[in-house]
Amino acid sequence: MAYVATRGGERAIEQSERLFREDMGPFDRKRVDEVKQGLPYLIDRVMGEASLYDEDLAALALAQTGGELYEAVLLLRAWRTTQPRLQVAAPIEQDSLFTHRRISAAFKDIPGGQVLGPTLDYAHRILATDVLQGETYSPEPVEPAANPSPAYQPSVSAWQAENDLLDPPADDPTKGNEIPDLTREPLLFPAKRAHTLQSLARAETGGVLALGYAAMRGYGQAHPTVNELRLAEAEIAVTHPDGRQFSAGRVKVSQAEVVDKKGEKLGIGYAATFGWNEVKCIAAATLDLNSPGAEKGSATEEEFFLYHTEGVESSGFCIHFKLPHYVTFQSSLDAMRDAKAKKAAGAAKQQEPAE
Amino acid sequence: MDDTLDTLARADGARLKAFAETLIPDLGAIEVVESRSGLVMLPIRDTAAGVAFHLGEVLMSEAHIRKGDVSGYGMRRGHDLEASMAMALVDLAMATDVRLSECRAFCDAQAEALQKADDDVLRRVEATRVNMETF
Repeated sequence: MAYVATRGGERAIEQSERLFREDMGPFDRKRVDEVKQGLPYLIDRVMGEASLYDEDLAALALAQTGGELYEAVLLLRAWRTTQPRLQVAAPIEQDSLFTHRRISAAFKDIPGGQVLGPTLDYAHRILATDVLQGETYSPEPVEPAANPSPAYQPSVSAWQAENDLLDPPADDPTKGNEIPDLTREPLLFPAKRAHTLQSLARAETGGVLALGYAAMRGYGQAHPTVNELRLAEAEIAVTHPDGRQFSAGRVKVSQAEVVDKKGEKLGIGYAATFGWNEVKCIAAATLDLNSPGAEKGSATEEEFFLYHTEGVESSGFCIHFKLPHYVTFQSSLDAMRDAKAKKAAGAAKQQEPAE
Repeated sequence: MDDTLDTLARADGARLKAFAETLIPDLGAIEVVESRSGLVMLPIRDTAAGVAFHLGEVLMSEAHIRKGDVSGYGMRRGHDLEASMAMALVDLAMATDVRLSECRAFCDAQAEALQKADDDVLRRVEATRVNMETF
């Protein structure tokens, strides 16, 4: 690949950025607050892909980029590099999640029961066009139960392991800065499991869905059944200078387990991400389930799906093709002209004896 | 987990600041070791293989103050340095027995409010429980 230095575009470049921003007009804290309040699932998606949790910053990034998701995520990823890391929190354990939604498609009678939580799964998809005629859309209020749901729900996979349906997870004493971190180390293959899951946690939702869907449709080795899907809030367990551990607040997280029959036991795939984004988690867990033994270059092979679902890198590579490639392209044209000239010369030479 | 610090980290920001400000004259001279915002990396444990991995970072505000050898510490979500400092002031006051009963009363009231908010959420969640019937 080669580039050529050009001049003369400074004014055009400056005006083009102005044109982009002018279309959105001035914005202030009020717009950021409206984005935050009105689009929580988009905020969640952006925070997950940016791997930076703060609703205000995510709403600001969306407001500043006019909702251009790749630009918004890039802004946040760039901003996080300017910030100091204060601590590494204690790992979140599944049974300590403050659970809003927990369902299983594998077993109807899971320990703790099934709570649907907030979902449009069973909703009629009807556009509320009356709003455009000046009506206010007022959703029906929830009728709260007399007693609260248990805040913490037991793990479905732990229950299955007790019943010898799958192998229990191994103990992992890794904590703090010992936990492999993609933001400070390169992704190498075969990838550490911590790198794989971190990469999927910050992967681009559409990319994960596309490759996960390919596996679901048969371009993989395993067909997923959702063992457990959970939308929850997780505590940020940090440490006081005197050693006391405490929760410095909660963040929304999603996690999914998918299973498939594997010999006498179930094979299990797992994924989690910041925010509530269950499509991404189910698709990512499907890729995790399918990756052992996947054929090189297939959609479910680890290197393939991790590289191709990294949204900042893939969108950046895609848009770089818009940049001047004048030398490269000119070189291709030269090669084409040369080939054409050689072909013409060859044809003329072959014709000589007949002349 | 320390219940008092849990409560202070999620307490209503405006009330926390207002209460902490009243403690300042009684605390006397304090040293501010740190008052800043930054990121806390948040890992989670995978339930398939048991591996801890990073979900990403959370924007937090942190305050670390000292009176003699005793530390007061505050860490809360988001960028609000006044709120994290207010948490550190209440923590320091409790650690040094400054207006301890008022601090405890404040924390108890906040804990009660947080518990009520959680109960409200969970009663709404409970309304979505599926009561399976087998045909």
